[in-house]
Amino acid sequence: MAAAHRSPPEHPPPTRAVSETVQAAVSVLIGVYLLGLLLSILGNTVSGSSALVRTIKGRLFSPWMAPAWLDLGFDHPLTYGRPEDSDHLIEVRTKAAEADGGAGETLQFPGFRTKERAARWRRLARTIALSAVEDAAAPLAAGVGAGQFNASGSEDLTVRVLRRPIEDRTSAPRPPRLEQVYAARVRSVAGELQLVELGGEAKRSELAPLVTAETSPQ
Amino acid sequence: MNGSQDSLDGTLKQASTGDDFGRAWLRFWFSPASSRPLAVVRMLTGLLGLLLAGSYAADLEVWFGPDGMLPADAVTAWGSRSTWSIFALAHTPTLLWTLFTGLLLALAAVMFGLASQMACVIAALLWASLLQRGPMLAGPADDCLAVLLWSLAVGPCGACWSIDQVLADRRGLPRLADSPWAAVSLRLLRIHATAITVAVLLSQLKGDVWWDGTAAWWLTNRPSQLLNLTDLFRRSEYLMNLATHATVAFEATFAVGIWFAASRRSLARAGLLAWPLIGLLAGEPFWGAAMAIFCVPDAVASRL
Repeated sequence: MAAAHRSPPEHPPPTRAVSETVQAAVSVLIGVYLLGLLLSILGNTVSGSSALVRTIKGRLFSPWMAPAWLDLGFDHPLTYGRPEDSDHLIEVRTKAAEADGGAGETLQFPGFRTKERAARWRRLARTIALSAVEDAAAPLAAGVGAGQFNASGSEDLTVRVLRRPIEDRTSAPRPPRLEQVYAARVRSVAGELQLVELGGEAKRSELAPLVTAETSPQ
Repeated sequence: MNGSQDSLDGTLKQASTGDDFGRAWLRFWFSPASSRPLAVVRMLTGLLGLLLAGSYAADLEVWFGPDGMLPADAVTAWGSRSTWSIFALAHTPTLLWTLFTGLLLALAAVMFGLASQMACVIAALLWASLLQRGPMLAGPADDCLAVLLWSLAVGPCGACWSIDQVLADRRGLPRLADSPWAAVSLRLLRIHATAITVAVLLSQLKGDVWWDGTAAWWLTNRPSQLLNLTDLFRRSEYLMNLATHATVAFEATFAVGIWFAASRRSLARAGLLAWPLIGLLAGEPFWGAAMAIFCVPDAVASRL
């Protein structure tokens, strides 16, 4: 009876050998992958890479490494002590809340969320803030605003990205404060999504997609 | 005559050097290795994957749903270099949740070792696809998880301590002991651990705060931090400097020392503790955990 429950014998262990042909083929694949890994690290780093590295990586390696999420620079400095390394959050206000200084309907992200879930929201907020520097934040901000039309019950919202500045070590402790790094008005007019970045007249005139009810052709 | 003899000697020497390199290469990659360390990495990777994927669950529809905050065209317009994502096809909540559940099931299969290698491939593809759908939400731990899953897919990660093994035992199939594919998988893990560490180290050394010893302050003085050492660092500048320099020193030592047999095991064991601590200090605990998983094979190989 006991023999029926015995584990299969471990000796002699069947070590699967790899033929020379397979070794050669796998060696080539490993070599190609390692080159791709090296170029990914060189080509994705913030310090910049040569046009040659970017071109080789982009043409030969990115097409198959990027879909597998392997075209990575891994250059996470963790911090450079810069303002953009501080915590960011997204705030969405209805037009009514905007009028009374935020006392009305205001949604914050990450808000009550914690841990990795909150970290993803902070990354989104930080990406919008960093993209704003290159005038590339509009699509994301518009998406964030439009995504909150139902939740807020309003189709005219202000999306802000706020940052908690890190105090210098030598300064006296102060209560946490927030500073605005990006703001845009997002609304839907006749089913059309419109966005105006609230960053001064020059920026407003560049984008100018917002059409008010008074000025729109009837 | 002497000239031709020198030329012949040089050719033979080059051929010998080439042969040595070839032998060393084959020994490094294909010397059969135990699949047990790989099994430990598989279980931990599956668990890490479930935790990371779980952090998407509560906001999945808020981000990627039909009326979500990150419509696929907005992500493309933003300038994502990302490629096609299967999650972009999820135009209904049902389809979105079906795909996401598929990812969770694949990660659970990785953790428990059911159709292990296939599960690793499916989990890696779905995970990459989820990250492509919203690349601005991805963090360093997510990158590491993708690398871990792809590396595991190469080797027999389900050969032991798995449902696969139980099923094979029931069918009376012999157990796989050492395998050259396990070696390929384990070497890929070590190479990636080194590559990630070197990349992190190089990017840190470009910042003044890592040289003047204040990086730890900027890392910990954030409301989102799990490990709040603000008061401690405010009282002691030396302690803050020590935390900063110790981080850099460990990373440099790890990147080099992991390649020497004499220091490999002790550094890998140190990594099991040091990486999670660095992750906590940096506010990226899952990244610290992922880096510790890379250390597991070299830390525990002799005990399995």
